[in-house]
Amino acid sequence: MLDVSRLSLQYPNGKVALADFDIAVRAGELVIVLGGNGSGKTTLMRCITRTLQPTEGSVRVNGTDLAPLTGEKLRRARLELALISQHGSLVRRRSVLANVATGSLGRHGGWFTALGGLPAEELRLAHGYLAEVGLAHLADQRAGTLSGGQAQRVAIARALAQRPRVLLADEPVASLDPEAAEDIMKLLRRLAAEENLAVLCVLHQIELAHTYADRVVGIRDGRMAFDLPRAEVSREKMRHLYLSEAA
Amino acid sequence: MTSTSFTPKPPRADAGNGWPHALASAVRIVLILIALLIAVQSLIVVQFRPQDLITGFHGMVDIFQRSMPPDFSNFDTVLWPTLETIDIAIFGTMAGLLLSLPLAVLAAANVTPSRVLYYLARGIIGFTRAVPDLVWALLFVTAVGLGPFPGGLALAVHSIGMMGRLFAETIEHMDMAPIDALSLTGARRLQVFTHGVLPSVLPSLTGISLYRLDENIRSSLVLGFVGAGGIGFQLLTAMNLFQYQQVSVLLIVTFVIVLTAERLSAIARERLA
Repeated sequence: MLDVSRLSLQYPNGKVALADFDIAVRAGELVIVLGGNGSGKTTLMRCITRTLQPTEGSVRVNGTDLAPLTGEKLRRARLELALISQHGSLVRRRSVLANVATGSLGRHGGWFTALGGLPAEELRLAHGYLAEVGLAHLADQRAGTLSGGQAQRVAIARALAQRPRVLLADEPVASLDPEAAEDIMKLLRRLAAEENLAVLCVLHQIELAHTYADRVVGIRDGRMAFDLPRAEVSREKMRHLYLSEAA
Repeated sequence: MTSTSFTPKPPRADAGNGWPHALASAVRIVLILIALLIAVQSLIVVQFRPQDLITGFHGMVDIFQRSMPPDFSNFDTVLWPTLETIDIAIFGTMAGLLLSLPLAVLAAANVTPSRVLYYLARGIIGFTRAVPDLVWALLFVTAVGLGPFPGGLALAVHSIGMMGRLFAETIEHMDMAPIDALSLTGARRLQVFTHGVLPSVLPSLTGISLYRLDENIRSSLVLGFVGAGGIGFQLLTAMNLFQYQQVSVLLIVTFVIVLTAERLSAIARERLA
């Protein structure tokens, strides 16, 4: 479903941010990327979403390579790829329901949505996505009034409204308390299985990775350190990614 | 009694050398002298004559006596110019809002689609702001004739500059995370604007527009002096005809309009905050 091959990014000053990175995520699979600060995790995500242009390699989503695309072709290709960021990134003054429904905008052209309208069918579906993340009762509330955990769930519902094949999550639990973090990880785990999504999630929490991942990928200095099934990767090995950074 | 440890500060690099300190003092004195010179030259250029205030006081008292009591017998003739004054401001603010919003989007560095359009929009906003509304009114009176329409046009054009700059700054300072998130869903540029940018900055834009309406009401009172309709034109006519009791009525109306607009605008902006 998501197939990243030899992905590299070298800045004009010569610094290598990502080098020959390979990663594949199948439908229904939850892959967690671990790595210290500055190891290249966010760069990897930004290259996959093409907010950064990789200098080499390919990013195939359901067979389509995003790396060489620009303009309208890139916009269309991005419909298959949803991103959940660290803080949910909701429009605070809009309702929760409207925020969720905006996930579907890319599928609707025309003046109605361009002038701020949201199709009735999408609003109906958005209710369903909110129910899926357990927040249907907050549909009419302003997004700005939500807690961190609730905002992150709404962001996930918005990602579902996009109806993607691949779900990317860039440190989705970084600002949450342990209980809310567990809830979000359970939800991602469930969505991968039930919605048959390929989920690639960047984390810092070794315990969460060990509990919820199908596979764990370690990244250090922009290069892959390991890519192993959860059962084959020890906590010590994961911790080593961070220890070696400090040493 | 507790002892307090005291670590002396290391000596400054210039300690023992009085020159930098003396130089700083000299610069301060020179700056004060320059400020004084600027103040004095302004008194000379404006031909400041305090004695004229004393001799002119009698003239002012005379005008005040002649304007009392205000003559409300023709109050109905003031009503239409009053409505004109308010409507010039409403038209100017609305037209300014509609024209400045797209310009502000082009002139906001974080959302502009191209650098060429960015500089073009900044140029238009800067030019319309730099030319005072009274000058715009003179130009439009020449172009479209006397009456409230040139007044409305003048305020509209000047408002483009005033609102455009503030709108652009508001957009530049907004949280970009929701906008980036929306872009990544595959939403089109205009959809990102209407569903992301606009809802995020709408309270600020409304507040700025209300403040501008308040300012435009004050401005529209003056525009009448150059033939652009409203109370200003009535005021000028009454003064030229030495109808000071009528002048006092117009000043009372002006006072009421300005205070009411200011209060209503402040209340509306408080509610939006």
